[in-house]
This record gives sequence, structure tokens and C-alpha cells, in this order.
Amino acid sequence: MILRVARKEFVDAWRDGRFRLGAALVLVLLVVSGLLARQQVERARTERAAATELERKNWLEQGDKNSHSAGHYGLNVFKDTSPLATFDRGIEPFVGTTVFLEAHRQNQSAFLPAQDATSMRRFGELSAAIALQMLVPLLVVLLAFGSLAGERESGTLRQVLSLGVRPRQLVLGKSLGLATTLAALLLPAGCFAAFLLARSSSADASGMWTRAALLAACYAAYLAVFIAGSVGVSASTRNARTALTILLSLWALNCIVAPRLASDVVHGFLPTPKLAEFDFEMQKDVQEGLDGHDARSKRLEEFTRSTLAEHGKSSVDQLPFNFQGLVMLESERMAGEVFDHHFGNLWDRIQAQDSAVAWCGLAAPMLALRAASMAFAGTDFAHHRHFARAAEDHRRDFVRVLNEDLMNNARPGDHSYTAGRTLWEKLPVFQLEPLSPRDAWASARPGVLALAAWLVASLAFLFFSAGRLRVVSA
Amino acid sequence: MLEAQKLTKRFQDRVALDALDLTVQDGEIYALLGPNGAGKTTTINLFLGFLKPDGGDARVAGTSVADDPVAARRKLAYIPEMVSLYPRFSGVENLDYFSRLGGHARRREELYALLERAGLQREAADRRVGTFSKGMRQKVGIALALATGAKALLLDEPTSGLDPAASHEFSRMLKQLAGEGVAILMATHDLFRAREDASRIGILVGGRLIAQYSRDEIKDQDLERIYLERMSA
Repeated sequence: MILRVARKEFVDAWRDGRFRLGAALVLVLLVVSGLLARQQVERARTERAAATELERKNWLEQGDKNSHSAGHYGLNVFKDTSPLATFDRGIEPFVGTTVFLEAHRQNQSAFLPAQDATSMRRFGELSAAIALQMLVPLLVVLLAFGSLAGERESGTLRQVLSLGVRPRQLVLGKSLGLATTLAALLLPAGCFAAFLLARSSSADASGMWTRAALLAACYAAYLAVFIAGSVGVSASTRNARTALTILLSLWALNCIVAPRLASDVVHGFLPTPKLAEFDFEMQKDVQEGLDGHDARSKRLEEFTRSTLAEHGKSSVDQLPFNFQGLVMLESERMAGEVFDHHFGNLWDRIQAQDSAVAWCGLAAPMLALRAASMAFAGTDFAHHRHFARAAEDHRRDFVRVLNEDLMNNARPGDHSYTAGRTLWEKLPVFQLEPLSPRDAWASARPGVLALAAWLVASLAFLFFSAGRLRVVSA
Repeated sequence: MLEAQKLTKRFQDRVALDALDLTVQDGEIYALLGPNGAGKTTTINLFLGFLKPDGGDARVAGTSVADDPVAARRKLAYIPEMVSLYPRFSGVENLDYFSRLGGHARRREELYALLERAGLQREAADRRVGTFSKGMRQKVGIALALATGAKALLLDEPTSGLDPAASHEFSRMLKQLAGEGVAILMATHDLFRAREDASRIGILVGGRLIAQYSRDEIKDQDLERIYLERMSA
């Protein structure tokens, strides 16, 4: 019985010219947005590869110079783009793709793709994810609002129930028919996306297909929430117009109001410092120490005393190595503690904000889906933090290699010491080990759980509405 | 057989149906006459199980509607004033869908035959019903009753708005169904059709069945006069 109703709904939907038009528009948007995003991602990857090569060449060919000067010469590392960014660009356009590594400083990433965009693009970048998060639910609403309320008005509901069809069978059949209709629309787009993904330059990226499967499951759950909720509302309302009004209001709250509201509320409760304040506080702690009691100069004096005592010498000139190099190593270590503290707090706060927004998904499923989608696509803040952390670790290795060279090879007081290509080659190329799907899951968990809660609640609502389905008001 | 025993329905303080006792035997056409708001449609809804009675019981071929509405519905067919169909489906597709929902899957040729028997030709049966007249829709409704092999038929103002020819054709089909043993309860304002078709006529006023006549009792009488007298009594 359920399958019979589902089949009828499927055929009915595809015979509806309005649906075919809407479906064609959505399909075109999905395909076009996917192709455009793929082009952008592939271009970014090509540019990154070229820039990485050029950067390496510049580094190796910088000529002979003091190794500490080479630390100030610095180098850039570039963020690789997740292949699934083709689907969901997440925060990628709004965070930097490049980090300049240099001695003494932990720089934030720079060169935001959004900076290169036209002002119009800032109004909203259409990605396949956005289309699925916002437009397809709208299509579901337009398909579902009359599924039962419209039948009640036209009298077919009366006709159907008079044949001994149980309301629950009818409601489930309607929902299944709607789901099948959407699947018929979206599966070709999904297959096309999989084809593009398989052909992408990083199709072998670890866990990509697992991530893609998790993404598909999340979007299926999200659309199931909309289908069950919409059919439930249609079953519970007296007429199709009321059902449409309610569903469009809920759609607007979920897709337009909630993202902005949740972001503002969460930022109100969990504020992040302004960039200037952040830099000021960090530099202050570099100079004064994290506890604010011991100035950097005092701590270095103490370090000098303890080093001399350890080696049984009375002057740094008597030490068997270049003490200046050791001081630089120690300075970097001390600064590293400050950077870890400040950046750690900042990143923890941003992740707490993201997590809070994902939990706001309990009030609006799009927030839950968006968080899970970005996490599985590898375009959320957790993935950006992973890059920033890896870049900083690389910076510390790079500075350590240079300072150790200075310490071990430059004579005390010899400012003419220079190193060359042999040393520069010791520094490995920056390689970012991608996060595993398990790590992505950890980041996606709040969104996934909120989405699961929505799925359970919407199915319960659907069953409840079916139980209350009436053709005559008593 | 359709049977109502002390069937009562109230809407808040208003009694819509007051202890209705009514039996429609197999092969009988029972016309329920009454003004708007008399309780005719409420009676139909109670037999369909769309309303819960506040008292009494409605039974379809021995099955209590209150106890098992789905089983009761499986035994009957329902034709409202305007048979509602899916406009993007053809007549035969509508019949196919509805008869399958009623638990009677039939081959396409059988469905065409049923529609033809109900007076709808194949050419029309293949058209989408968005263009169907009311009479054509009623024919699909009759075909559905035939397809599901219903033991009882509930009709709510079935001939309202039909032209005389369509109305005549419809009543011919009703008589045919009754001849096959189907118990037919018809709520109507159409005094002419009631006198022509019904085996018995009941007059319902204010939720109460105030009079019943057999065909023989009213054969030579003016039904309109009787009806108006009863209404003003």
C-alpha cells in the first residue's frame, strides 16, 4: 500500500510542469555551481603547486647569508584545498591560504580568496552545498505543502481513506514518494559530482570517499527532515494555503534567519578579540612573559647565568658554541609558549563558537547540516586550524634548523658567518598530512547529533500527524 | 447491509444526529431526504468512520465501523457529490490507483471494461480527468464501486448538478448495482430521483428520522407535498 501511494506520488510529481521546471532549475544550479567550484578549486590547486615550486626555488637560490638572516628572509607555505571543497567551500573563501614563516613571529594566514572576489560575490557564493541546504528544501516545501492539505481540499483524501487506506500508510507513502522524486532528481547530480571528484587532481586523497559518503548521508538525513516535517505539516493543517504559509515561514527561519541569528548570538556569548588587541596582548606577553612578572630580558639573563653555570664558564665567549644561536633557540622556545597560549585560546574559542553554532542546529537543522557538511568536506575551522598548526610546527623546525646551524658553526662574535644552499636544502618542503575521516567526525559530531535529533523528531511528528489525520473536523 | 442503531452525533451542544435507527438491506436503494443541516452527510460520515459517534453504532455488512473502520470501509464504496480524482491522471489511471488502494488490482483491460460498463468510453478513459465533466467523474466513481466489489454504496448528493441525461444514466447504473445485491444509501435533495430510484425513502430533520416510506407507499403520491408537510410539521 505504501509503495503504491509512493509510486503514484512519484508519477504525479513528474507530470507536474511546475515541478519539472523547478527541478530543472535546481539541477542546472547544482551542476553549474559544481562545475564553477571545481574550476576554482582546480585553479587554486594549480596556483598553489606553482607557488610552492617557486617558493622552494627562491629559498634554495637565496644565496649565501647568515642563517639567522635567512630566518628573517622567511618563506611562504600554502594551504592545500580539500577536493570536497568543490562541493562545500565552507570557510575557505574567508580564511587565508598562505602563511609567511619567519623568525620570532607566528603569523596568521593571509590572502583570503574573498579578497579577490568582486563585491557582488560577497552577497553569497552559490555552491552545490548551498543549493542543497537552501533551494532543495524549498523545492520539498513546494512539493509537499499540498500533499495532504491539498487532497483534503480537493476531496481526494476522503476518497482515498474511504477505500480503507490507513492514514499512516498514506502519510508514509506520500513521504516515500516525495523522497523517491527527489532522489530521481538528485542522484544524477550526485553521480556527476562523483565523476568530477574521481577525475580531480587529488582523487586519491585519503578518506575522500568515506567523507563523501558521510556527506551524502548527512544531506539525505537533512532532506528527510524536510520531507517528514513538510508532509506532517500538510497532514496537520486545514488547507494547503495555511500549510504553505507555515512551511515557507519555517524555511525562512531555518535558511535565512537562523544562520545570522545564531552567529550573532554565539559571538555575543563567546567573543573573539579584535586582531589589533590580539597582536598587542601577544607581543606584550612575548616581552613580559605569560605571567607578566619576568621581563624577557630578565629571563634571558637568568638563562645566561644557568648556561654558564652548567658549562662551568664565566663568560659566554668561553662557551664551546655560539651563545647567540642558543639564545635565539631559547627565545623561540619562550615565544613559542606565548604563541601556543594565545593562538591556542583563540582557536579554542573559534572552535567553541563553531560547536555552539552547530548545537544551535537543534533549533534550525540547516545550522547542524552546515557544520557537519563543512567538517566532512574538510573546509571547516578545525581543518584550517590543522593547517595553521602544521605551518607553525614547520616554522619552528625551520627556525630551529637555522639557529642550531648558527649556534654550532658560527664563532662567537663573528657576524660575518654565512650559510648556503647545503643548509637551505636541509629544510624539508612543507607537507600537510590531511586529517582523517575520524578527525573530521570529531569536528562534525555536534552537527551530526543535532541532525539526528531532528530526524527522530520529524519522523515522530510525521507519525503523530498521521494519527491525527482527519477528513472531517469533529 | 447497512445498519444504524441509535446512531448519535453531537457537535458541541448541537445534536447533528439523534439516535438514528436505519437499515438498508442488500439490493435496496434507500434515499435519505432532508434540508441542509438535517444530518444526511453526518450519517454518511459516520458510516465511513470519518466521525466518531457519541452514541449507537453503524455497521457495514456486519462490521462495526467504530470497532474496525478500515475493515468496514473495505466493504463499501463512496461517491460524493463531486467524485474527486487526480487531474494529472487519466480516468483509467485513477480507477487503477483507487481500486488498488481498495485492495483490488485489476488488469488494464478489465478496468476499461468496468469504465465502459459505467458509461465511459475508452477514448474518454484515456484522457486526463482535469477536463472531465461531473457526470464523467461520477461514472469513474461507479466503476470504482464495481471494481472493488463493494457490498454497500454510500452516495452524497450524487445527482446534484447533473444534466437530466447524465442523471438518468447514473440512476440506471445504481439500479444495476442494487440488482447485483449492493445496499445503497443515498443522501439527496433530488425528490424526483428519490421517487424514481429508491426502494425506501427516509426524511431526516434536525438529526431525527421523522418518517420512512416504501416505494409502494408513495407510488401515487406527490413526494414534494409529503416532504414539505413533514418539514413544516
